Amino acid sequence: MNDGTPAAAVPRVDVPVAITVARLRRLFEVPVALAVVVALWQVASVAVGNKTLVPPPSLVLGAWVQLVHGDLRDDVLASLAHLALGYALGAGTGLALATLSARFAVLESIVDPLVELLRPISAIAWIPLAILMFGVSAKVPVFLIFYAALFPIFVNTLAGVKQVDPQLIRAARALGASSRLILTHVVMPSALPFILAGARLSLGVAWMAMVAAELTGSDAGLGWRLFWYQEFFAMDKVMAVILTIGVLGYFLDTLLRGLQARITRWNPDASRDDSQ
Amino acid sequence: MSSAEPPQSAKSSSSGGSDAAKAQAWSEQTRARPPWLPFAVVASLTVAWQVAVVSMRQQALVPYPVGVAQAAVRTIEDHSLVTATANSLARVVIGFGIGALLGIPLGVAMGFVRPVGRALGPIVDSLRSIAPIAWIPMALLWLGIRGNAALFIVAYAAFFPFVINAAQGARLIDRNLVNAARALGAGRALVVRAVVLPSALPAILTGARISMAFAWGSIIAAELAMGIKVTSGTSGAVGLGQLMVSTLYVRRDVNALVLYMIVIGVISLCIDLAMRRLQRSLTPWRQA
Repeated sequence: MNDGTPAAAVPRVDVPVAITVARLRRLFEVPVALAVVVALWQVASVAVGNKTLVPPPSLVLGAWVQLVHGDLRDDVLASLAHLALGYALGAGTGLALATLSARFAVLESIVDPLVELLRPISAIAWIPLAILMFGVSAKVPVFLIFYAALFPIFVNTLAGVKQVDPQLIRAARALGASSRLILTHVVMPSALPFILAGARLSLGVAWMAMVAAELTGSDAGLGWRLFWYQEFFAMDKVMAVILTIGVLGYFLDTLLRGLQARITRWNPDASRDDSQ
Repeated sequence: MSSAEPPQSAKSSSSGGSDAAKAQAWSEQTRARPPWLPFAVVASLTVAWQVAVVSMRQQALVPYPVGVAQAAVRTIEDHSLVTATANSLARVVIGFGIGALLGIPLGVAMGFVRPVGRALGPIVDSLRSIAPIAWIPMALLWLGIRGNAALFIVAYAAFFPFVINAAQGARLIDRNLVNAARALGAGRALVVRAVVLPSALPAILTGARISMAFAWGSIIAAELAMGIKVTSGTSGAVGLGQLMVSTLYVRRDVNALVLYMIVIGVISLCIDLAMRRLQRSLTPWRQA
């Protein structure tokens, strides 16, 4: 979440050694916790005594190294291709639709009820219909990612564009700015924190939808590979893929969060997201 | 700010320059819409959908509104829909409970005890990034196909929003209150029970709302995956997801599929409304 900055607010006696010790301790906190988790995992594995049921960490690490040199690259690339295509389509459509809806009241009165109608139907509920429409193929995850990414960015962009200070628009207009210039130089910058927050939410749900869609209706990707290895009862490899999904998802979210913090540095609200 | 009336002069004066009127429209188009308009839009789209399908005369794999209604009557009559929905909801409630039971204490500990939060934060974050549904092969192995595997997925999904929000709530606590309680002689347990938990309650309830929504999405995913992979007859209590799979592969009934999707949507709406109401009644001092 936030890097331990709150501690900076606490007035502290300036004893360099004490600070260094505290810093050192902080440096070790995460590795120690990680070691504890791995140790617990190892203990569980030994206690169960079945390498298929609970593959020990060492085995999973070995499987992961083996996979990195083998299938894993293709799976990651396939998943990322699904994600890139679906997300670009979904986020792009959401962004455009929201901007146009904020602009033309007629469009909003049509699009808004539809969005409110479809939004509660999660992407996952579309899986059977998507399989029926597209067959078991890459189109299923792409469609699901598209659908999942569409709504958060739509809702946030609409809210963002609507909260633009009308004074700013009037000022820009008074200075002779064209409609397009107002869009690119007033409306969009002002709505940007909202759009980026929406983009991050979209990516989160898109990631989940991707895994679910690949598990059930695809012939490539990380999710598909999970069941592939399960068929052979290669649970160490299954665990390796699960961890890869986690690490990649974490990495993507961190990437977008960094982007968000960087682009909207002026806006302290940008980092706030209470809807996960 | 948004409810301000657009100055009419700008519109009436710029008969030629439509640019000005357009610029106005960006932020100030909150004209009150008639309340029936959304329903009218949806109704007319439904009619258009029906007309389009009928005029195409290819009803085999294209869902249409009347067919969906017929499927509703059929599935309600043979109780399959109600039973499956009840089974899925039961799993969601149990999984949600497990998630709350494990997630709230961990979250409060992470938020209230700073080193714990710093140490476990990255681990929780990376575990959270694993889509719950990705655990399904392991869950099937550990807990079998009789519905418990789905339960694991739901609990996993419900767990993290509780942790994150409880931690957030406990972190933003007014330290003065804590210090006051300590000064008055309260022990650690009493501080947590009497100060930390009530202060964190609004955040925890927000977490509960997200958890519930997330759990409902995950149960469908888990049941779908189980329905697709577990083809043997003994699949335990059939949930909405398994029902969808059998509808897709065995009966090939598109209308029923659309009906199930609508049911899923309606339930998630109801869940959200119920959780919001709960939030309002438990923390009336917060106007959320």
